[in-house]
Amino acid sequence: MKKKKWFKIITIVGLAGLFIGGSVALYLFNMPHRDVQSGKTDFSLTSNEIVSEYLANKDAANQKYLATDGDSKILEITGTIAKISENYDGNKVVLLKENSDKAGVSATFTPETNQNTIGLSTDQTITVKGVIRSGASYDDDLELYENVILEESDIVKK
Amino acid sequence: MKKSVLITLVAALVISAAGYAQSTDKWVSSKSHIKFFSSTPAENIEANNMVAVSTITKSTGEVVFSVPMQGFEFEKALMQKHFNSNKFLDTKNHPKTKLKASITNLSEINFSKDDTYQVNVEGELTIKGVTKAIKEKGTITVKGSTVEVQSKFNVTLADYGITFVDGKPSTNIAKTVEVTVHAEYQPE
Repeated sequence: MKKKKWFKIITIVGLAGLFIGGSVALYLFNMPHRDVQSGKTDFSLTSNEIVSEYLANKDAANQKYLATDGDSKILEITGTIAKISENYDGNKVVLLKENSDKAGVSATFTPETNQNTIGLSTDQTITVKGVIRSGASYDDDLELYENVILEESDIVKK
Repeated sequence: MKKSVLITLVAALVISAAGYAQSTDKWVSSKSHIKFFSSTPAENIEANNMVAVSTITKSTGEVVFSVPMQGFEFEKALMQKHFNSNKFLDTKNHPKTKLKASITNLSEINFSKDDTYQVNVEGELTIKGVTKAIKEKGTITVKGSTVEVQSKFNVTLADYGITFVDGKPSTNIAKTVEVTVHAEYQPE
Protein backbone atom coordinates (compact mmCIF):
# COMPACT_ATOMS: atom_id res chain seq x y z
CA MET A 1 0.00 0.00 0.00
CA LYS A 2 2.80 2.41 1.00
CA LYS A 3 4.82 1.43 -2.07
CA LYS A 4 1.87 2.14 -4.35
CA LYS A 5 1.45 5.62 -2.89
CA TRP A 6 5.12 6.45 -3.53
CA PHE A 7 4.80 5.19 -7.06
CA LYS A 8 1.85 7.51 -7.62
CA ILE A 9 3.72 10.57 -6.26
CA ILE A 10 6.81 9.86 -8.36
CA THR A 11 4.68 9.44 -11.46
CA ILE A 12 2.85 12.72 -10.87
CA VAL A 13 6.07 14.63 -10.16
CA GLY A 14 7.74 13.06 -13.20
CA LEU A 15 4.84 13.93 -15.50
CA ALA A 16 4.72 17.49 -14.15
CA GLY A 17 8.49 17.84 -14.72
CA LEU A 18 8.17 16.55 -18.26
CA PHE A 19 5.32 18.93 -18.95
CA ILE A 20 7.19 21.96 -17.57
CA GLY A 21 10.42 21.01 -19.34
CA GLY A 22 8.59 20.46 -22.61
CA SER A 23 6.77 23.78 -22.27
CA VAL A 24 10.02 25.66 -21.64
CA ALA A 25 11.68 23.99 -24.63
CA LEU A 26 8.69 24.76 -26.82
CA TYR A 27 8.63 28.37 -25.60
CA LEU A 28 12.34 28.85 -26.31
CA PHE A 29 12.02 27.28 -29.74
CA ASN A 30 9.07 29.50 -30.69
CA MET A 31 10.19 32.56 -28.74
CA PRO A 32 9.01 35.59 -30.70
CA HIS A 33 11.43 38.29 -31.90
CA ARG A 34 11.68 41.32 -29.66
CA ASP A 35 9.13 43.97 -30.62
CA VAL A 36 11.42 46.96 -31.09
CA GLN A 37 8.62 49.51 -31.43
CA SER A 38 6.98 48.64 -28.12
CA GLY A 39 10.37 48.39 -26.40
CA LYS A 40 11.86 51.12 -24.24
CA THR A 41 14.11 53.62 -26.05
CA ASP A 42 17.67 53.32 -24.68
CA PHE A 43 19.15 56.51 -26.20
CA SER A 44 17.74 59.58 -27.98
CA LEU A 45 20.27 61.33 -30.23
CA THR A 46 20.59 63.39 -33.39
CA SER A 47 22.10 61.71 -36.47
CA ASN A 48 25.06 64.10 -36.10
CA GLU A 49 25.65 63.03 -32.48
CA ILE A 50 25.74 59.28 -33.08
CA VAL A 51 27.81 59.60 -36.27
CA SER A 52 30.33 61.83 -34.43
CA GLU A 53 30.48 59.37 -31.54
CA TYR A 54 31.20 56.47 -33.90
CA LEU A 55 33.77 58.34 -35.98
CA ALA A 56 35.60 59.39 -32.81
CA ASN A 57 35.85 55.83 -31.41
CA LYS A 58 33.91 53.05 -33.11
CA ASP A 59 35.09 50.29 -30.74
CA ALA A 60 33.86 52.15 -27.67
CA ALA A 61 30.57 52.95 -29.45
CA ASN A 62 30.09 49.29 -30.44
CA GLN A 63 30.58 48.21 -26.84
CA LYS A 64 28.00 50.79 -25.78
CA TYR A 65 25.32 50.15 -28.39
CA LEU A 66 25.66 46.52 -29.57
CA ALA A 67 24.43 43.55 -27.51
CA THR A 68 26.05 40.11 -27.50
CA ASP A 69 22.79 38.35 -28.42
CA GLY A 70 21.97 40.82 -31.21
CA ASP A 71 19.13 42.53 -29.31
CA SER A 72 21.11 45.77 -29.42
CA LYS A 73 20.13 49.22 -28.16
CA ILE A 74 16.87 50.80 -29.27
CA LEU A 75 17.57 54.33 -30.50
CA GLU A 76 15.51 57.38 -31.38
CA ILE A 77 17.38 59.42 -33.96
CA THR A 78 16.44 62.91 -35.10
CA GLY A 79 17.80 64.18 -38.39
CA THR A 80 17.21 65.56 -41.85
CA ILE A 81 16.00 63.22 -44.60
CA ALA A 82 18.67 62.99 -47.30
CA LYS A 83 17.28 60.05 -49.29
CA ILE A 84 14.31 57.69 -49.38
CA SER A 85 14.71 54.33 -51.14
CA GLU A 86 13.49 50.76 -51.05
CA ASN A 87 15.34 47.49 -50.35
CA TYR A 88 14.92 44.08 -52.04
CA ASP A 89 12.21 43.16 -49.50
CA GLY A 90 10.18 46.16 -50.64
CA ASN A 91 10.75 47.92 -47.29
CA LYS A 92 11.42 51.66 -47.16
CA VAL A 93 14.90 52.91 -46.27
CA VAL A 94 15.18 56.48 -45.00
CA LEU A 95 18.62 58.09 -44.74
CA LEU A 96 18.96 60.83 -42.13
CA LYS A 97 22.09 62.85 -42.83
CA GLU A 98 23.21 66.44 -42.44
CA ASN A 99 24.95 67.98 -45.47
CA SER A 100 27.99 68.77 -43.35
CA ASP A 101 28.33 65.20 -41.99
CA LYS A 102 30.45 62.46 -43.54
CA ALA A 103 27.91 59.75 -42.71
CA GLY A 104 24.31 59.46 -41.64
CA VAL A 105 21.79 57.05 -40.16
CA SER A 106 20.06 54.63 -42.53
CA ALA A 107 16.74 53.39 -41.13
CA THR A 108 14.96 50.38 -42.66
CA PHE A 109 11.21 50.17 -42.08
CA THR A 110 9.00 47.05 -41.90
CA PRO A 111 5.90 45.82 -43.78
CA GLU A 112 3.86 47.22 -40.84
CA THR A 113 5.55 50.66 -40.77
CA ASN A 114 6.34 51.32 -44.47
CA GLN A 115 3.07 53.22 -44.92
CA ASN A 116 4.18 55.79 -42.32
CA THR A 117 6.86 57.01 -44.72
CA ILE A 118 4.24 58.09 -47.28
CA GLY A 119 4.39 61.83 -47.79
CA LEU A 120 7.90 62.23 -46.38
CA SER A 121 10.24 64.35 -48.45
CA THR A 122 13.94 65.17 -48.44
CA ASP A 123 15.12 68.04 -46.21
CA GLN A 124 12.31 67.31 -43.75
CA THR A 125 13.36 66.78 -40.12
CA ILE A 126 11.97 63.65 -38.46
CA THR A 127 12.63 61.32 -35.52
CA VAL A 128 12.81 57.57 -36.12
CA LYS A 129 12.97 54.72 -33.63
CA GLY A 130 14.73 51.46 -34.42
CA VAL A 131 17.32 48.91 -33.33
CA ILE A 132 20.97 49.60 -34.16
CA ARG A 133 22.64 46.92 -36.32
CA SER A 134 25.98 48.60 -36.97
CA GLY A 135 27.77 51.90 -36.57
CA ALA A 136 29.36 54.51 -38.82
CA SER A 137 33.00 54.29 -39.84
CA TYR A 138 35.36 55.00 -42.69
CA ASP A 139 36.18 51.81 -44.58
CA ASP A 140 39.59 51.81 -46.28
CA ASP A 141 38.58 49.13 -48.78
CA LEU A 142 35.24 50.67 -49.77
CA GLU A 143 36.90 54.10 -49.60
CA LEU A 144 33.59 55.28 -48.18
CA TYR A 145 32.01 56.34 -44.92
CA GLU A 146 29.47 53.71 -43.88
CA ASN A 147 26.22 54.87 -42.27
CA VAL A 148 24.80 53.84 -38.92
CA ILE A 149 22.24 51.09 -39.68
CA LEU A 150 18.87 50.93 -37.92
CA GLU A 151 16.24 48.29 -38.66
CA GLU A 152 12.69 47.54 -37.49
CA SER A 153 12.15 51.30 -37.74
CA ASP A 154 9.13 53.53 -37.44
CA ILE A 155 8.57 57.29 -37.23
CA VAL A 156 7.95 58.76 -33.80
CA LYS A 157 7.84 62.45 -34.75
CA LYS A 158 7.57 64.42 -37.96
CA MET B 1 43.32 88.87 -70.58
CA LYS B 2 42.45 86.45 -73.35
CA LYS B 3 45.17 84.07 -72.23
CA SER B 4 43.92 83.92 -68.66
CA VAL B 5 40.39 83.19 -69.87
CA LEU B 6 41.73 80.35 -71.98
CA ILE B 7 43.73 78.93 -69.08
CA THR B 8 40.68 79.10 -66.82
CA LEU B 9 38.57 77.36 -69.45
CA VAL B 10 41.10 74.59 -70.01
CA ALA B 11 41.54 74.13 -66.27
CA ALA B 12 37.78 73.92 -65.77
CA LEU B 13 37.53 71.34 -68.56
CA VAL B 14 40.36 69.21 -67.15
CA ILE B 15 38.89 69.32 -63.64
CA SER B 16 35.41 68.39 -64.78
CA ALA B 17 36.74 65.60 -67.00
CA ALA B 18 38.79 64.22 -64.12
CA GLY B 19 35.79 64.49 -61.85
CA TYR B 20 33.62 62.71 -64.40
CA ALA B 21 36.11 59.87 -64.86
CA GLN B 22 36.45 59.45 -61.13
CA SER B 23 32.75 59.48 -60.40
CA THR B 24 31.88 56.89 -63.02
CA ASP B 25 34.77 54.56 -62.22
CA LYS B 26 33.41 53.57 -58.84
CA TRP B 27 29.97 52.05 -58.40
CA VAL B 28 28.26 51.82 -55.02
CA SER B 29 25.54 49.49 -53.79
CA SER B 30 23.47 49.98 -50.69
CA LYS B 31 20.65 47.85 -52.08
CA SER B 32 21.71 44.29 -51.42
CA HIS B 33 20.52 40.90 -50.25
CA ILE B 34 22.83 38.35 -48.69
CA LYS B 35 21.35 35.03 -47.67
CA PHE B 36 22.88 32.12 -45.93
CA PHE B 37 21.36 28.70 -46.03
CA SER B 38 22.27 25.70 -43.93
CA SER B 39 20.81 22.30 -44.66
CA THR B 40 21.03 19.20 -42.46
CA PRO B 41 18.74 16.17 -42.11
CA ALA B 42 17.52 17.77 -38.85
CA GLU B 43 16.42 21.11 -40.32
CA ASN B 44 17.01 23.88 -42.84
CA ILE B 45 18.08 27.26 -41.49
CA GLU B 46 17.97 30.47 -43.50
CA ALA B 47 19.04 34.02 -42.61
CA ASN B 48 18.69 37.18 -44.68
CA ASN B 49 20.63 40.43 -44.59
CA MET B 50 19.53 43.53 -46.53
CA VAL B 51 22.02 46.08 -45.19
CA ALA B 52 25.40 45.29 -46.77
CA VAL B 53 27.33 48.00 -48.61
CA SER B 54 29.43 47.17 -51.65
CA THR B 55 31.59 48.85 -54.27
CA ILE B 56 32.94 47.89 -57.68
CA THR B 57 35.80 49.81 -59.25
CA LYS B 58 35.53 49.34 -62.99
CA SER B 59 39.09 50.22 -63.93
CA THR B 60 40.70 47.83 -61.45
CA GLY B 61 37.94 45.21 -61.09
CA GLU B 62 38.05 45.51 -57.34
CA VAL B 63 34.91 44.28 -55.54
CA VAL B 64 34.34 45.01 -51.85
CA PHE B 65 31.48 43.96 -49.56
CA SER B 66 31.02 45.12 -45.99
CA VAL B 67 28.31 43.16 -44.18
CA PRO B 68 26.91 44.27 -40.78
CA MET B 69 26.54 40.90 -39.05
CA GLN B 70 23.70 41.91 -36.72
CA GLY B 71 21.65 42.56 -39.85
CA PHE B 72 21.09 38.81 -40.39
CA GLU B 73 17.47 38.02 -39.61
CA PHE B 74 16.25 34.50 -38.81
CA GLU B 75 12.74 33.14 -38.62
CA LYS B 76 13.36 31.95 -35.06
CA ALA B 77 14.44 34.53 -32.47
CA LEU B 78 16.47 31.96 -30.56
CA MET B 79 18.51 31.07 -33.64
CA GLN B 80 19.25 34.76 -34.18
CA LYS B 81 20.46 35.06 -30.58
CA HIS B 82 22.69 31.98 -31.00
CA PHE B 83 24.09 33.32 -34.28
CA ASN B 84 25.07 36.62 -32.65
CA SER B 85 26.41 35.10 -29.41
CA ASN B 86 30.07 34.83 -28.55
CA LYS B 87 29.85 31.07 -29.06
CA PHE B 88 28.98 31.51 -32.72
CA LEU B 89 29.82 34.72 -34.64
CA ASP B 90 30.45 37.07 -31.70
CA THR B 91 28.92 39.98 -33.61
CA LYS B 92 29.40 42.48 -30.80
CA ASN B 93 33.18 42.16 -31.12
CA HIS B 94 33.20 41.39 -34.86
CA PRO B 95 30.34 43.53 -36.18
CA LYS B 96 31.29 43.34 -39.85
CA THR B 97 32.29 40.70 -42.37
CA LYS B 98 34.46 41.87 -45.24
CA LEU B 99 34.93 40.52 -48.73
CA LYS B 100 37.72 42.07 -50.75
CA ALA B 101 38.29 40.58 -54.16
CA SER B 102 39.35 41.32 -57.71
CA ILE B 103 37.67 40.31 -60.94
CA THR B 104 40.26 38.15 -62.71
CA ASN B 105 38.63 38.23 -66.17
CA LEU B 106 38.00 41.98 -66.23
CA SER B 107 38.85 42.28 -69.94
CA GLU B 108 35.78 40.17 -70.82
CA ILE B 109 33.39 42.66 -69.23
CA ASN B 110 32.15 45.68 -71.10
CA PHE B 111 30.56 47.98 -68.53
CA SER B 112 29.13 50.17 -71.28
CA LYS B 113 27.28 47.36 -73.07
CA ASP B 114 24.05 45.90 -71.67
CA ASP B 115 24.60 42.17 -71.09
CA THR B 116 25.16 39.51 -68.44
CA TYR B 117 28.78 38.58 -67.96
CA GLN B 118 30.29 35.59 -66.15
CA VAL B 119 32.93 36.79 -63.72
CA ASN B 120 35.64 35.09 -61.71
CA VAL B 121 36.78 36.74 -58.51
CA GLU B 122 39.73 36.05 -56.27
CA GLY B 123 40.46 37.65 -52.96
CA GLU B 124 39.95 37.45 -49.24
CA LEU B 125 36.98 36.88 -46.97
CA THR B 126 37.21 37.97 -43.33
CA ILE B 127 34.68 36.51 -40.89
CA LYS B 128 35.02 36.85 -37.11
CA GLY B 129 38.52 38.28 -37.52
CA VAL B 130 39.79 35.31 -39.56
CA THR B 131 40.88 35.99 -43.16
CA LYS B 132 40.92 33.26 -45.81
CA ALA B 133 41.61 33.27 -49.52
CA ILE B 134 38.57 32.73 -51.73
CA LYS B 135 38.03 32.06 -55.40
CA GLU B 136 34.42 32.27 -56.57
CA LYS B 137 32.23 32.76 -59.62
CA GLY B 138 29.34 35.12 -60.22
CA THR B 139 27.57 37.22 -62.82
CA ILE B 140 27.53 40.93 -63.53
CA THR B 141 24.53 42.31 -65.38
CA VAL B 142 24.91 45.72 -67.01
CA LYS B 143 21.60 47.42 -67.72
CA GLY B 144 21.65 51.08 -68.60
CA SER B 145 23.05 53.04 -65.71
CA THR B 146 22.84 50.20 -63.18
CA VAL B 147 24.99 47.14 -62.57
CA GLU B 148 23.78 44.02 -60.74
CA VAL B 149 25.94 41.35 -59.17
CA GLN B 150 24.83 37.84 -58.33
CA SER B 151 26.82 35.02 -56.83
CA LYS B 152 26.39 31.81 -54.88
CA PHE B 153 29.19 30.13 -53.00
CA ASN B 154 29.93 27.90 -50.04
CA VAL B 155 31.59 28.85 -46.79
CA THR B 156 33.06 26.17 -44.52
CA LEU B 157 32.45 27.47 -41.01
CA ALA B 158 35.42 25.68 -39.40
CA ASP B 159 37.78 27.64 -41.70
CA TYR B 160 36.79 30.75 -39.71
CA GLY B 161 37.02 29.11 -36.31
CA ILE B 162 33.26 28.58 -36.06
CA THR B 163 32.80 25.06 -34.68
CA PHE B 164 30.19 23.23 -32.66
CA VAL B 165 31.37 20.34 -30.56
CA ASP B 166 28.14 19.26 -28.95
CA GLY B 167 24.49 20.07 -28.39
CA LYS B 168 21.80 20.90 -30.90
CA PRO B 169 23.92 23.21 -33.08
CA SER B 170 26.39 20.39 -33.83
CA THR B 171 23.66 18.32 -35.44
CA ASN B 172 21.37 21.07 -36.80
CA ILE B 173 23.86 23.45 -38.45
CA ALA B 174 25.65 22.34 -41.59
CA LYS B 175 29.45 22.37 -41.61
CA THR B 176 29.32 24.20 -44.94
CA VAL B 177 26.71 26.88 -45.57
CA GLU B 178 25.56 28.28 -48.90
CA VAL B 179 25.83 32.06 -49.31
CA THR B 180 23.80 33.88 -51.98
CA VAL B 181 24.71 37.45 -52.90
CA HIS B 182 22.62 39.93 -54.89
CA ALA B 183 23.45 43.63 -55.14
CA GLU B 184 22.47 46.58 -57.31
CA TYR B 185 24.98 49.37 -58.00
CA GLN B 186 24.72 52.99 -59.07
CA PRO B 187 27.58 55.28 -60.12
CA GLU B 188 28.96 57.05 -57.04
